[in-house]
Amino acid sequence: MNKKLLFPLLLLGAGIVFIVISFLNLGGGSGGLDIKIQKSSLIMPAAHKVYSNSQALNGQYYLFKALITNNGNKTLEKVTMKYRVPGYIEWTELGTLGRMIPGQSAVVACYPTFDQKITEKTTESIEKAEIVVEWAGASESDFLEESFSFKILNRNDFAYTNIPANEIMSWGDMFDNSPLIACFVTPNDPIVKYYTQVVQEKVMKGESSSVSGTPEAAVQFLLSLYEATRMSHMVYSSTKAVPQSLDDVSTLIQHVRLPREVISGNTGLCIELSTLYASVLSSVGLNPVIFFVPGHAYPGVKVNGQYYAIESTGIGGEGLGGIASAEDAFKAGMKNLEEFVKAMQAGDPRYSLVDINEVNAVGITSMNLDDNDFLRKKVDDIAMNFLPGQQGNVNVSAPTARGGGSGIGGDNSNRASGTLTFSTPSGWQTYHSPVPEMPILTTQVVSPDQSVSISVFDIPANSSQNAMQLVSQYFSQNGMQLEFQINGGRVTGNTYYPAYGTATKWIARIAPVQGGYRFIAVGSDSRYYDQYSGTINTVYKSIK
Amino acid sequence: MKTTITLIIVLFSVSLLHAQELLKPKMELKIDSIGNANIKVSMTMNANQWQMWSQNYGNNPALLKRNIEKEMPGYFMDDFKLEKNDMDRSFSFTFKAYGVCEVNKRGTWIVSTEQKNPDLTKLTEHKYMMVSTDMANGMQETSIIEFPESARNIKETKDAFDKTQFEFEMKEMRSGINWFLWIGILLAAAGGGWGAFISIAGKQPKNAQPF
Repeated sequence: MNKKLLFPLLLLGAGIVFIVISFLNLGGGSGGLDIKIQKSSLIMPAAHKVYSNSQALNGQYYLFKALITNNGNKTLEKVTMKYRVPGYIEWTELGTLGRMIPGQSAVVACYPTFDQKITEKTTESIEKAEIVVEWAGASESDFLEESFSFKILNRNDFAYTNIPANEIMSWGDMFDNSPLIACFVTPNDPIVKYYTQVVQEKVMKGESSSVSGTPEAAVQFLLSLYEATRMSHMVYSSTKAVPQSLDDVSTLIQHVRLPREVISGNTGLCIELSTLYASVLSSVGLNPVIFFVPGHAYPGVKVNGQYYAIESTGIGGEGLGGIASAEDAFKAGMKNLEEFVKAMQAGDPRYSLVDINEVNAVGITSMNLDDNDFLRKKVDDIAMNFLPGQQGNVNVSAPTARGGGSGIGGDNSNRASGTLTFSTPSGWQTYHSPVPEMPILTTQVVSPDQSVSISVFDIPANSSQNAMQLVSQYFSQNGMQLEFQINGGRVTGNTYYPAYGTATKWIARIAPVQGGYRFIAVGSDSRYYDQYSGTINTVYKSIK
Repeated sequence: MKTTITLIIVLFSVSLLHAQELLKPKMELKIDSIGNANIKVSMTMNANQWQMWSQNYGNNPALLKRNIEKEMPGYFMDDFKLEKNDMDRSFSFTFKAYGVCEVNKRGTWIVSTEQKNPDLTKLTEHKYMMVSTDMANGMQETSIIEFPESARNIKETKDAFDKTQFEFEMKEMRSGINWFLWIGILLAAAGGGWGAFISIAGKQPKNAQPF
């Protein structure tokens, strides 16, 4: 071949290659479509109706949302996105975009409709969502495909937050999902309805609270309901609550028994008793409210804009330090409410309430549950305890209406009102909620020369081990490392600050208090611990 | 346009606790030729409102960004910028929102106001003003919606949920230059032409004496 033709042929070949590439770029591959996914780390089956509702809480609870951008240079027609979750949701179209011109973006959010069977799920699992984007004229090999994994919890699990751990700033962030507790309030559950009817018939001998709409009638209903739980020998008991990490989210996941399970099991934790009360109150047309305070929750009712509360855990149990009467439980509830209102007015974010009717109105609704003959039989068995003559005094005088929700005071005879306190040496400075990033650290007391400090932690946990794990988790999130040894109610340990190369040595007591655990630690810089051991031991001995 | 009032509420929610007068934020939403929008929210506050706002958001723009993203799940947003003027107690918060408009099967562009019977005033051919009042949160928001220059036949219609939306036509942007194609053609033409020239020149007799 003529050597002179080499370069022209090379040029011609390169030109042909460029032309071929240009056509491949136009018609093949992903058509120039790019996709960016933001996904949810977990799905709570109890809240499956929330996830399916794009209007619920302004559409915050989606499975994923996708940003599709046409980065090609050709207009795409009929761009369609579909997805599936094998075993749960078959291929489902999320809508069709008529056209996507070059450079155009579109946002598609997925609000999945899970089958009701998801509410029967009793184990958690990792599932995979598959996404396909197709458009007119594209062959199957051109389709844009994406997938991601996420966790489906079991139906009783309640994750307190979806906010990534590195974004947590306040108590409110840690309990960001609180409104979803309304998904566990099941007034339409046939078993709850049956229980309500039985209580109305056998304990209340007929009731008119929802008919009359007066505070007196509503409070009478609260008292009667408490009396029903007391007569059935319902007891307070804890359930599992463990911190879990899912992707970048770290949250406390609590096992919350459904109201039907609380009725049939005749036992419940504070939050479970609250959802039971709320379910029954809602089923008779009252406006239930659940109050959240650090480490505890209790139910109430809103009548004509005013709140009334009862300490539902007053039923306690013989083994748990006694059983409060309905009157005492109501007094304790109202006293708690008084403190609640003060804290709310002071802007303390740890005090919040969920108005069930209000959150229902924005799409947070409960799961559907089927009737169950066995559970009805259990209700009948429990009703055997509702015998005439066994009832306590439920004729409490009606509360006086007062503004701001505060009402009747009185002795707090709540079973779980035990606490852990210490004597503050004179001259020491007290700081409340000193570290916003660590809301469980409720108080810190520091000696005048700042050499010794006392830290009080109020931890929503059901065992001392869990409580310490939660403390450890918080410390870790704040760049500290905790090392501890629990011996009964006594805890010893060190806190390391890698950024500064220092450590604090401390000694502490931990004990169950209302709705959680209190942990009081006293210590100093490990280098000077011995020097201040006298002061430290004095404070430690005062912790009671 | 989705949940713009939500955006405003997030921006000001905390300051409202101590607000003595109606807050009047202004929002400018400028739609570009590919359906994205540059959004700017600005406002001047009184001393009390400024103090509250600064404590909660002004000194923590990351929290502001997070809350806005959380409250407006229908958007993908970026390019957040917060500019404060402490002397005037004013701020402007800007960001870009993608996919604000969509194109239906007939090629009509649609942007929803997400409101039923909003108070709309046409300012110019491409500019509309919308006033939304939320007495519960004590604010009156003025939104200026600016359509791209290439938008034609802008009209107000209702969607299936009776919410007001804007429909307009926009000449489709010409496809971008396909550099690969044109470079390929040029190279092929140059190579082919050069080769042809050499071939033709090579066929001439070596001893040719044309004249």
